[in-house]
Amino acid sequence: MKLWKKKEFEEVEYEPRSVREILTEMKDISEVIVDLAYAAVLFNSSEIAEEVRLLEVEMDRLKYQLQMTVMLATRTTEDAEQLAGVLQVANATEHISNAAGDIVSLLKTHMKAPILPSVLREGDEIISFIRVPESVRGMRIEELYDEVSAGIRVLAVKRGKRWFYDPEDNMRLRENDRLVVSGIDEDLDEVRKYLGGKA
Amino acid sequence: MKELREIDRRLLEFKENAELMVDLAYSSLLYDNRVIAREVDVLETLMDREQNALERLAVEEVKNGESSVDRALVYIRLINALETIGDAAREIADVELRDMDVHPVFQMSVRDSERTITAAIISGESRFNGKTLKELDLPKEYGMWIIAIKRGNRWIYGPGAEVKITAGDWIIASGPPDMEDEFVEAAGRKVEWDTEED
Repeated sequence: MKLWKKKEFEEVEYEPRSVREILTEMKDISEVIVDLAYAAVLFNSSEIAEEVRLLEVEMDRLKYQLQMTVMLATRTTEDAEQLAGVLQVANATEHISNAAGDIVSLLKTHMKAPILPSVLREGDEIISFIRVPESVRGMRIEELYDEVSAGIRVLAVKRGKRWFYDPEDNMRLRENDRLVVSGIDEDLDEVRKYLGGKA
Repeated sequence: MKELREIDRRLLEFKENAELMVDLAYSSLLYDNRVIAREVDVLETLMDREQNALERLAVEEVKNGESSVDRALVYIRLINALETIGDAAREIADVELRDMDVHPVFQMSVRDSERTITAAIISGESRFNGKTLKELDLPKEYGMWIIAIKRGNRWIYGPGAEVKITAGDWIIASGPPDMEDEFVEAAGRKVEWDTEED
């Protein structure tokens, strides 16, 4: 059984976390998950698709967490009015993550080869796979941003058989890591050039 | 950019609109701005209409022998998913449209996010003044995308590369929080959240 299937109906228990923390996490996931969904389709990767599913399940859990935390934080009618808006925003982020899940379900329904790249490879922001050469071994992801462009974003790192999704900025790169990077075409070219050309 | 088929060109625009709508929706709450919220509502209506048109196009392509059933299904699925994102944006803007106050924790969360939203008024001395977005290439330099420009009473949403920035413009951008200060300084004066400028 897939991990996300196992986690899908896991019991949700209250955890002492702040509304701010949970909402931030939901907003961040709602953004990275859509990009990962495009990446999954673009690279026809069931592994990335699996991570999208996991994040989708995690969003469901976070939604419950937030609801519980908000209920406990509500003392006055003013609180209730103001926090209703917060819950509405959080629900919307959860709906966005469902859309990402729908996008990766494209992989399951058809197909030997991905059909969509022609669209996803156009547009201002695109997604690319780039390999890390020996020369930048040990570099942190944030240093790569400083070196090349603030506009790029490392969505995921593939190291051997392992995937790291939405990696921390201070993660150190290793030789032969493969990076899933989003950004404008020009910037991605620069990343490729900086990392020595080969994908 | 190479020549795209009509359906791809329109789908791409559809996708970019959905993304723009989410940013606009967040902005409407951050700046307590109903005009932006209403625009999200308008865009959502347009998106519904375009969804129908695109789905029809995908089916017609099969009928004309230009596409396969599988391919058409993929397009329809993707169109639907993107429409869900547009709907989500509309749900966020709904809070502003109903004139509800959002708890300040929302602003804190946006500030903590990996991508924040910021706004500035272009000063006369700014090096952005008189330049087109293409010339400025803000995504490259700051990682910042211009979501909207307010010029007098007129709004330009999701401005194209040819749009010129001029002194007095109010620009809203989304991008990495650590570039915000540098970006705003180059632009002119910062517009604080929830202080609508008229």
